[in-house]
Amino acid sequence: MTAWENRRIRTLVFIPAWNEAESVASVIGDVRERLPEVDVLVVDDGSTDATAARAREAGARVASLPFNQGLGAALQTGYLYALREGYDFCAHLDADGQHPPAEAARLLAEVRAGRADLVIGSRYHEDGVSAADAEDVGGEDYKATISRQIGISVFRFFLTLATRQRFTDTTSGMRAANRRVMELFSENYSPDFAEIESLQLAVREGLRVEEVPVRMLERAGGSSFLTPLRSAFFIFKGMIVLLVGQFRPRQIGASR
Amino acid sequence: MSLLLLAAAEQPKVHLTPQTRILAAVIAVAFMLMILELIRRGRLQERFSVVWFVAGIGMLAGAIFPGLLGTVADLMGVRDTNVALFSIILLLLLGLALNFSVIMSRQAAQITRLAQERALEKAREEARSGENGGEPERERL
Repeated sequence: MTAWENRRIRTLVFIPAWNEAESVASVIGDVRERLPEVDVLVVDDGSTDATAARAREAGARVASLPFNQGLGAALQTGYLYALREGYDFCAHLDADGQHPPAEAARLLAEVRAGRADLVIGSRYHEDGVSAADAEDVGGEDYKATISRQIGISVFRFFLTLATRQRFTDTTSGMRAANRRVMELFSENYSPDFAEIESLQLAVREGLRVEEVPVRMLERAGGSSFLTPLRSAFFIFKGMIVLLVGQFRPRQIGASR
Repeated sequence: MSLLLLAAAEQPKVHLTPQTRILAAVIAVAFMLMILELIRRGRLQERFSVVWFVAGIGMLAGAIFPGLLGTVADLMGVRDTNVALFSIILLLLLGLALNFSVIMSRQAAQITRLAQERALEKAREEARSGENGGEPERERL
């Protein structure tokens, strides 16, 4: 126990990035300023621009996937790195500057305090969040388009049905986790539906998953990829994923 | 009722003209030769060729023994041998396509893990060379 106490708690913040050369450096700078004690890893998901170089210049470690593998695989790479390198806690946020690192610090505080194994930063704080918390978050709120809102509420409904736990922001890309989650996600992480399925998986494996309201910014550049038709397909695929996930054998119990 | 009986009585046994049979046999042989050639050139792995040889042999057998198809159709309880033939082929292709999707999924997962392992290894290598003298990559914490 004493040896454990003497050991410095190590935390990794990883940032999946695919062709984000313009914004990645400022995000890294922000993280290092707000969270000086953490190591920063950029998972470069096969970028064809200078993302990796910008990230190195900004002082981050870089793990470059040799070709684009999708967000799920990139996130899993981060969890795998955190697990292999012996980090106690990890968090991830997007490279496009939507996620203020100060908010990631609040998520990390939750897992460090042992209140949850996995903490999700939620854009949509509804009930269950005290007014004081909402006040504290403050600032300009993230606004969603109509088709996105429909998708969000559908997923919210089905994920709540599947997990019997209330989630408001099922697709949030800002999360913090401990080693139990690293172990689970480094081996089981759906490449297609990373955000939703991972929540379902974590709850099914008996991990404590918690949402914390966070403030997110409008995306700096580019537009959301969701057209109505794509949204419909996205929702359909998500429902299949959730349905199948309900019948998946449990992992943790089996492997130990 | 009488119509049904009539139809049953008039049920044609398989009649393939000699031309059809020869054509089918030639196609079957050519198909198998093509498979062999693909293996020889290394474009097709042996383990994926088995199913295609089975298909080729089945086709050849059908051409040589035309009664075979009728027997199979009887076993299936299908009156029309053509329907039996098409259903069998359709089901086989469906199964094969599904099999390929399974293989593809497995390989996609393997490729992803391979890419991840390489990314981690390179990151570790970079961190090590950064510590061993080189340019100071990371500031002191």
